[in-house]
Amino acid sequence: MFNEYLGISPKSDLLLLQMFGAKLNQKSFLHVNSTRAGGGVAEILQRMIPILRELGIDARWEVIEGDSRFFDITKKIHNALQGNPETISDGMWRYHFEVNRHNAEKLNLEADVVFIHDPQPIPLINFRKAGKWVWRCHIDASNPQKEVCDYLMRYCEQYDAAIFSVAKFAQAMAIDEFIILPSIDPISEKNRELTEEETMETLSKFQIPTDRPIMLQVSRFDRFKDPIGVISAYRIVKKYNDCILILAGSPATDDPEGEAVLNEVREYAENDPDVFILLLPPFSDKDINALQRTATVVLQKSLKEGFGLTVSETMWKGKPVIGGATGGIPLQIIHGVTGFLVNSVEGAAFRIRQFLNNPEMVKRMGEKGKEYVRKNFLITRQIRDYLSIWYFMEHKGKSILEL
Amino acid sequence: MEVMIEPFEFKQCISILKSTGKKAKNLRELSDVIAVISDECIFHHTYQYFLKGHILEYTNDFAHWAGESLEERALSEHLSNIDPYDFKEMNDLRNKLLNVVDDYLRKFPEPRDAMPGDEFHFNETVTLIFPVGIRAKNLAEFLTAIKYVEAGSLYYHFYEARIRLGGGTDDFSRWIEDAFGKKELAEKIRKIDPFMHNMEGIRKHLVEAVEEEVRKDMEVIDRCLTSI
Repeated sequence: MFNEYLGISPKSDLLLLQMFGAKLNQKSFLHVNSTRAGGGVAEILQRMIPILRELGIDARWEVIEGDSRFFDITKKIHNALQGNPETISDGMWRYHFEVNRHNAEKLNLEADVVFIHDPQPIPLINFRKAGKWVWRCHIDASNPQKEVCDYLMRYCEQYDAAIFSVAKFAQAMAIDEFIILPSIDPISEKNRELTEEETMETLSKFQIPTDRPIMLQVSRFDRFKDPIGVISAYRIVKKYNDCILILAGSPATDDPEGEAVLNEVREYAENDPDVFILLLPPFSDKDINALQRTATVVLQKSLKEGFGLTVSETMWKGKPVIGGATGGIPLQIIHGVTGFLVNSVEGAAFRIRQFLNNPEMVKRMGEKGKEYVRKNFLITRQIRDYLSIWYFMEHKGKSILEL
Repeated sequence: MEVMIEPFEFKQCISILKSTGKKAKNLRELSDVIAVISDECIFHHTYQYFLKGHILEYTNDFAHWAGESLEERALSEHLSNIDPYDFKEMNDLRNKLLNVVDDYLRKFPEPRDAMPGDEFHFNETVTLIFPVGIRAKNLAEFLTAIKYVEAGSLYYHFYEARIRLGGGTDDFSRWIEDAFGKKELAEKIRKIDPFMHNMEGIRKHLVEAVEEEVRKDMEVIDRCLTSI
């Protein structure tokens, strides 16, 4: 599997991974999270564990189990960290701990380095036997609900270090806090190169005409992704350039508002034959890949966003993105270089028109964007960073190390 | 007797960001934190700015934030004009930053706070240096290498070296002068202004300077051949 990244990932990242493999040979690296499938964390771990093993590191992945009461509680904790008002009672915190205690009895938690992903398994730190423990937070905790954050801090400060995805998600804590950007896997179904036939198969499946430029936004039907704003921008553009719009997203089963938003979007589109609202079933990775590769202009016009990895996914396909200046989007789009950041419907419409009328600019920005993703947002870089942190924890107190 | 030339070993560095947990939403808070934050943090937001893919509008993170998040253009121009390599001690650089911000606060109406989520976050880094497995024994090999090494390697030898070696010099010009005695070429490389280019611009200037020298050396050989 490692060899599949040759010629794709930067050489220096691959070289460093091999050097780490030699340094950390046969040492154990355990990851613990709360789901084997579904969600970005599981998606990355599925790819990361075999690569680590191939490097000679004894990598394992354990998943904690819990009942629906447990996951209701952890969903509330998750929402509270994202700033939603939630009440977590003492009983709920106790249950959260108890479920983790049961898991600690069953799981083998012994390893040289243990990464605990997100808040669900965070109490496992109380059952540490040995090794360095790191809490890996994937959530946008830039504006958390204070009581919940304070409670989690009791666990957090027992760890050797914490990792956040964006600097503004980090909290003031007494332990080392590293910032590691998330990543995409360039050889996964969602990002791999497609043949002409594979792309055409998707387009004909959804009966999408190819005689006009295509505007695309891939996101769940959520108000924060501003699908209504995207349609408004399309209408402004349509006065100047004939084009079609595709809004593609999976139905959000865990979001009670999802259906209401989808209905609003359908109503707002007013049966416009050039607006395609595609409700994609889960695991539609190849179709999303094909749509991103076919589109002339890709938007991620979010009003609020965690990291927004769809931006990097699109940029990896050589397409510049017009994105809302929010969350992790400005970390991916360098305004005017790898795409455009916008703050309004009008701003989005203007930039879409610029792209539609300047294919040379699209090509230039697309190439720069792809290189930017290659250097900063591929899975090999994320593994490299994890292993670097491990190495620095073994040399605590040093800020410069030479391999 | 043939003189042994120490080959140039290309290295590279990567930096992992560390949060200090401190942030500022306005200029007063920025100034308060700059006054007490670690040297490593000041280092990261000034010297390491060049490691990022940036537009040539600013030369450090403080100027970038003042320009983009507070939209205080004059202040960002003042901050961008600070050359970190002018200072021997990190504290002198810290004081210069404080003087510029405090002076601005005295002369102009107090700017608005940054939008929520757009505060200045104070970070530092841990840096890992490693060999990239490329060695150059002569100028021609060196020329080929600088065309292809990654930007992180150029950063390490051109920018980071200035702090490591001091005296406004870098690994490339030092090796060229020590190994071949080519003072003129070394001086030409030292004169490339680190502020006026991004990493690819630096690469272009390095390639031009070294290519010219290699061509000159070749022409000498040509002259020798014609005189036979």
